[in-house]
Amino acid sequence: MATVTGTTSRDVQLPSGLICRVIEAGPGGDVPTVVYLHGAGGVSEQDEILATLARRWNVVAPMAPGFRDLSELSEIDDVHDLAIHYDEVFEALGLDGACVVGHSFGGMVAAELAAHYPSRVARLVLLGPVGLWDDDEPVADVFGVGVTELGGLMWGDPEGPGARAMREGLETIDVSDPKVVDELLIPMMQGFSAAAKFMWPIPEKGLAKRLRRIAAPTLLVWGANDRLVPVGYADRFERAIPDARVRIVPGAGHMLPVEAGDEVIAAMEGFLG
Amino acid sequence: MPGRSPVASHPPSARRSEGGSTAVKFHAFHLMPYPYLPDDFRQRYRGVWVDLPASELYDPVLGHGVYHDYLDELEFADQMGFDGICVNEHHQNAYGLMPSPNLMAATLTRRTRRAKIVVMGNSVALYNPPTRVAEEFAMLDVMSGGRLVAGFPVGTPMDTCYAMGQTPTTLREKYREGVDLILRAWKSEQPFAFNGRFTQLRYVNVWPRPIQQPHPPVWIPGGGSVETWDWCVQNGFLYAYLSFFGYLRARQVLDGYWEAVDRHGAEANPYSAGFIQFIGVADSDAQAEELYSEAALYFFNRCLHLYPGFSNPPGYTSVATMRKGIVGQVEQAARRAFADDLTWSEIVDRGYVVAGSPETVTERLGDMADRLRVGHLMVNLQFGNLSRERTMANIERFATEVAPKLRDRFDEYEDRWWPTDTLSELAQPAPLEREA
Repeated sequence: MATVTGTTSRDVQLPSGLICRVIEAGPGGDVPTVVYLHGAGGVSEQDEILATLARRWNVVAPMAPGFRDLSELSEIDDVHDLAIHYDEVFEALGLDGACVVGHSFGGMVAAELAAHYPSRVARLVLLGPVGLWDDDEPVADVFGVGVTELGGLMWGDPEGPGARAMREGLETIDVSDPKVVDELLIPMMQGFSAAAKFMWPIPEKGLAKRLRRIAAPTLLVWGANDRLVPVGYADRFERAIPDARVRIVPGAGHMLPVEAGDEVIAAMEGFLG
Repeated sequence: MPGRSPVASHPPSARRSEGGSTAVKFHAFHLMPYPYLPDDFRQRYRGVWVDLPASELYDPVLGHGVYHDYLDELEFADQMGFDGICVNEHHQNAYGLMPSPNLMAATLTRRTRRAKIVVMGNSVALYNPPTRVAEEFAMLDVMSGGRLVAGFPVGTPMDTCYAMGQTPTTLREKYREGVDLILRAWKSEQPFAFNGRFTQLRYVNVWPRPIQQPHPPVWIPGGGSVETWDWCVQNGFLYAYLSFFGYLRARQVLDGYWEAVDRHGAEANPYSAGFIQFIGVADSDAQAEELYSEAALYFFNRCLHLYPGFSNPPGYTSVATMRKGIVGQVEQAARRAFADDLTWSEIVDRGYVVAGSPETVTERLGDMADRLRVGHLMVNLQFGNLSRERTMANIERFATEVAPKLRDRFDEYEDRWWPTDTLSELAQPAPLEREA
């Protein structure tokens, strides 16, 4: 696992009364900033995707509402409320015209934000985002598989080391150990519960109608072997977003920023300049 | 056209009060399983619920006979003196064929006379708007002459979140708001507006109104969620634990309920609690195996063959319940799905099914009632693919050889969770064949 050095966390008070945990990492100095919106797995100071991005950029990663405490979602009922929440997060962080990178669920959030508030986002990078739906090529039901099947869904090679580690890790969870329940199971289920509120039962909540509003030049990076959101969706996003381009990463799956960090960085460097 | 006289065919009867009746009550519970799943079901299909293809496995012509057998069994339980007959709601599965328990309850109102009709119940979050439940339950109460017990389950994850598409994160809030709306609709003297988070109605004004005033007793079938205990105590609802996994598991859950009762300073009244148990009555313990083992194995190894991916949607189980270390009923079954087939001796030794001679069953069930402190015992006398003939015999033997010996309990408590406004004289359906 890559280590992230110099990672810090702080809590930011929002006008809604909510407190947003923000994790920051990166080389500092004049290096440009990117905002990273995480997937259903959450974000922490040990996050591998954060570490990857922080090799090249200063990364600001706000934790999605509900991931720390589900009660944070009591006034956030749908993707519109969620977009308003992120507008307030960006305002509180002084982010206007930001470069925003979203992975998976975070990709949907980033796209919704950019469609609801086009001026908030100057450059948009979507890594295997959810948010669209095609009957002929359904997005896999990530919340309707056994935990032991999750690894096979997330990684490009279902028998590779990443998938194996995830499978073995989840198979051996001891739910009778209070420490494991508190430190592993509850945060994981809480994050999934929060993401599920906006993805259930089908992760398309009108984004197809709104993608036309995205003003930011957009880069879509997709794993060719994405088993969760099939690579065919790259084309759908590209066609619906006014200024979009696609980079397919051979061999990678849904965890492409972990599986193919160098390729993701290279694609983003070319795009962000 | 002249108006219909209100007393033309069915003069209104005086009401009688049964409130306070103090004896353990027995309810015949039917899941109505599909009894024709193939022998290699576990090998061929990943689960019995949600995405099991009906086109491959459900034969509607056989289904016709199945429904009528099952209804006959519940009607027979009424004749044999059971206090209640129970139906419940499940969707997209072969485990229980009642997507609409209210249809079953409606037909039971016509051919039963004594037993209360316990609908266990309607999964409130699935009805849009939930006043639909207030209406149908009121219809059932009127049709049955005030014999309805109104059950409000959250519903299993498979039913609610996967089959019916409810968001697990907000399911319980939506469910509770719906229950509040239904109770208000029954209690309100005037039409009112309801501005909920999940339901908005400008005019709530439910017709018909129930015979039982202000409303039928409310029973909450729980699967072991921590919040439900407090909620039941605070609202005066009966808490029923529907366990398939025997005494130890039930003990953990009902202890939690009684702790909540204690915490709120409420009376530890056994009639505020219910419990379900599979029962097989035979001449001897050895004969029980001969009569019931195939059906029990069918139930545990086929009807409870659950795909783990549909057992625990994120948000369905609260953080408090996870922290308490309580594994939901469904998740428990799903975990089992990985394991080998259960054997008859495991099923009996662990108390999943209480089977044996009338003496054995009486002793074990009485012991459970005492230790769990439950005044309402729901007994499942048909399970798996148990035949009509064996089920009828089981119903009769339980009613005549077991129930009478167990009734004499908890007589210092008043049962306030039982219909009290039942009509003393019920309208008679016309005979099936008219006399010439």
